[in-house]
Amino acid sequence: METTFVLPNSGHRRDDVATKMGMWLFLFTELLLFGGLFLVYMIYRYMYHDDFLAASLDLNVLIGTINTVVLLASSMTVAMSITAMQKGDIRLSKRLIWITVVAAGIFMVNKYFEWTAKFDHGLFPGMEQYGQLANGERLFYFLYFFMTGLHALHVIVGMIFLLFVIRFIQKNKVRQDKYMLLENAGLYWHLVDLIWIYLFPLFYLIH
Amino acid sequence: MSENNHTSTHAHDTHIVSYREHASTFLGLILLTIMTVTVSVFGADLYTLTVLTALTIASAKAIVVALYFMHLKYDPKIFKFMLTIVVVLFAVFVVLAMVDYALRS
Amino acid sequence: MSTTAANPDLSFYQVARGIRSWLFTLDHKRIALLYFYTISAFFLVGMALGFLMRLELIAPGKDLMEPHTYNQIFTLHGVIMIFLFIIPVIPAIFGNFFLPIMIGTDDVAFPKLNLTSWYLYIFGGALALLTLVVGDGPADTGWTFYAPYSVKTGTNVSIAVLAAFILGFSSILTGLNFIVTIHRLRYPGMTFFKLPLFAWALYATSWIQVLATPIVGITLLMIIAERAFGVGLFDPAIGGDPLLYQHLFWIYSHPAVYIMILPAMGIVSEIIPTFCQRTIFGYKAIAYSSLAIAFIGYFVWGHHMFTSGMSGPARVVFSILTFLVAVPSAIKVFNWVATMYKGSIDVQPPMLYIMAFIFQFLIGGLSGLVLGALAADVHLHDTYFVVGHFHYVMFGGTAFAFFGGIHYWFPKIWGRMYNVRMANIAFGIMFVGFNTLYFPMMILGMMGMPRRYYDYLPEFQPLNVISTVGSWILILGILLMIYNLIRGYLKGKPVGRNPWGGVTLEWQTKSPPPLQNFDQAPVVSEHGPYDFK
Repeated sequence: METTFVLPNSGHRRDDVATKMGMWLFLFTELLLFGGLFLVYMIYRYMYHDDFLAASLDLNVLIGTINTVVLLASSMTVAMSITAMQKGDIRLSKRLIWITVVAAGIFMVNKYFEWTAKFDHGLFPGMEQYGQLANGERLFYFLYFFMTGLHALHVIVGMIFLLFVIRFIQKNKVRQDKYMLLENAGLYWHLVDLIWIYLFPLFYLIH
Repeated sequence: MSENNHTSTHAHDTHIVSYREHASTFLGLILLTIMTVTVSVFGADLYTLTVLTALTIASAKAIVVALYFMHLKYDPKIFKFMLTIVVVLFAVFVVLAMVDYALRS
Repeated sequence: MSTTAANPDLSFYQVARGIRSWLFTLDHKRIALLYFYTISAFFLVGMALGFLMRLELIAPGKDLMEPHTYNQIFTLHGVIMIFLFIIPVIPAIFGNFFLPIMIGTDDVAFPKLNLTSWYLYIFGGALALLTLVVGDGPADTGWTFYAPYSVKTGTNVSIAVLAAFILGFSSILTGLNFIVTIHRLRYPGMTFFKLPLFAWALYATSWIQVLATPIVGITLLMIIAERAFGVGLFDPAIGGDPLLYQHLFWIYSHPAVYIMILPAMGIVSEIIPTFCQRTIFGYKAIAYSSLAIAFIGYFVWGHHMFTSGMSGPARVVFSILTFLVAVPSAIKVFNWVATMYKGSIDVQPPMLYIMAFIFQFLIGGLSGLVLGALAADVHLHDTYFVVGHFHYVMFGGTAFAFFGGIHYWFPKIWGRMYNVRMANIAFGIMFVGFNTLYFPMMILGMMGMPRRYYDYLPEFQPLNVISTVGSWILILGILLMIYNLIRGYLKGKPVGRNPWGGVTLEWQTKSPPPLQNFDQAPVVSEHGPYDFK
């Protein structure tokens, strides 16, 4: 029974740089997915500048700003949770991840209030007041719901990802000498933040 | 010897970003956010310039998030290179599409 | 999964048996074969649809089917051939099987993700077939799903589009896997410029898969949203722009054709050195040209829209860029021919397919330049000239390279040889059939026959008859080729490690390879991948 010689590089062994690279490539696909929507937004804003401006006045800048601050803070806390993990402070790391998740929850609650306010005014595609809007305003609202909706979906996925990481930390599968999963969850979370960094001015701050 | 070719059992040689550095990054981002809200609320009549200003500040925030929170500043250069290509690609899509829309008679 | 478990004297087939060892495998070679059988099955379905189309077109007026059915058939033919055959065929089959071996490693970077990609492929394929049996039947919009018709028609557009979305994911994950594999798992000593050209081709292709596919993903989601909510994104009656759909669609679908052709060119770059027994002419030029084609290919999409109403400047810009992207392709063709010149050419079946590739790709590529010229395109857009053009590059190009790849790597994958004489005959029949089927289309297009038309003027009939007869000859050739390969699989003579005298790493290992790909340390030459001492 001879032992196989071992190949120096293997697809079946741990490689943290490969895992990080894979995550970044996936993030590129997400950037381009939203990029397509941003392209549509840019073109229709160019075509319907006044309608977009008029419709955007109905969005609440204060809530938008609060949500921006909340997401930025959550990016900070998840980044800090990695610092804590690197230093071996597992409890602090877990707490910081929990804070990140809670911040995400606050973001979703704000979103909920914003959206239901729009539903109450009949402004969702298919509803009565929506149908009576001018063409450009209708496009604005569609893009608003589609883009913030797709973004919210990613917030939820990010929250679930982070909760899984907490679970894995509890099971010692993510630890000081093996925390790529936490790093990748962090990268995903920063992507969610990045997208909002562009959504916020383009929808709320058109003045 | 191809050094970036070995499978490592540890995380990449860890450069640990301090809590203080993360907090500073956050404060910088808040500052930029204040800037962008202020410009939009108080700089009303600038039209195209408002868009450009908003996008520039947003891009500054994005670069800060990417370089610091996402660790690109300290990671192997290949990651920054790849991200740059993606951004350039998207920028060209926008430019070429606008060549159509802006110049239709 | 341990890397020291498997006995190197066993082939990868022998280490485990049974259906579960295939459906839950993490071995890139088995995944490649899973793809091979399922992609081939879809190819045959697509081929049958093409056969029916040509049958309907043998005479003007109704022959076999209603006009509405004809629209559904050519739509499904396109969807299957493009998303289920041509895009995945070479990367998912030969990329999966040979990329790790060619770079001297034991698997791709993310084996579980690799299996996931295959399941996504199956799921997407199943959805595409579902459109045949539910509701109002398959989509009748053409594979391009142009708005506003795709938003209004009652046929199964949403399901078809969802299928394409899922298949896009499969494609993205494969590309992602290959990029990381090439960056991280090369054998020590194999620098980027010692990679075989097939690996370079896959690298460039993978970048297109990762960066272009998401755009069509979001576009297809917008179609579904439009059908559900009637927003008017692409409906001119309520303020939308149908051209916007075309922009978004082609921003992916043009780079997609480079996903189709680059791996095929990679195969050509492998087969020619082996069957000319000399190193490739201009290795770096071919490597760089793969990247150049991928890069420039992102910026030419507007040439599908010259007659749709784009601005004048946009048309000019896209036309210039289209001419530019032809340059790196031409560089490759010159380098291949230069490699053959004064080489010791061994005309085996793989080489036959590759020589046909060069001839057919030339016709297809040059006809693409004709279409890229604004003045000519006005007359040729949406005619059979376009149909001829893309079949020459995709079928005469990519598919023939795929067949060449099968005949080249068959002994390595299955450890046996097929009957060479029968392979040559099958090739000959296919070559005659292919050109008889598609060359008349170039002429029909110039005469003015529109594409996607169920009926046509009587003056077009003679060439249509020739074309249809060509389809019968071609199918005969394909069936003979398949028969020969199956016979070789069942009863072919066993072969050693290197029946063709190739010098890339896969020819150093056993036929078929062991589970971990190599039974002894691979030797990477200092002089590059095509070192024919």
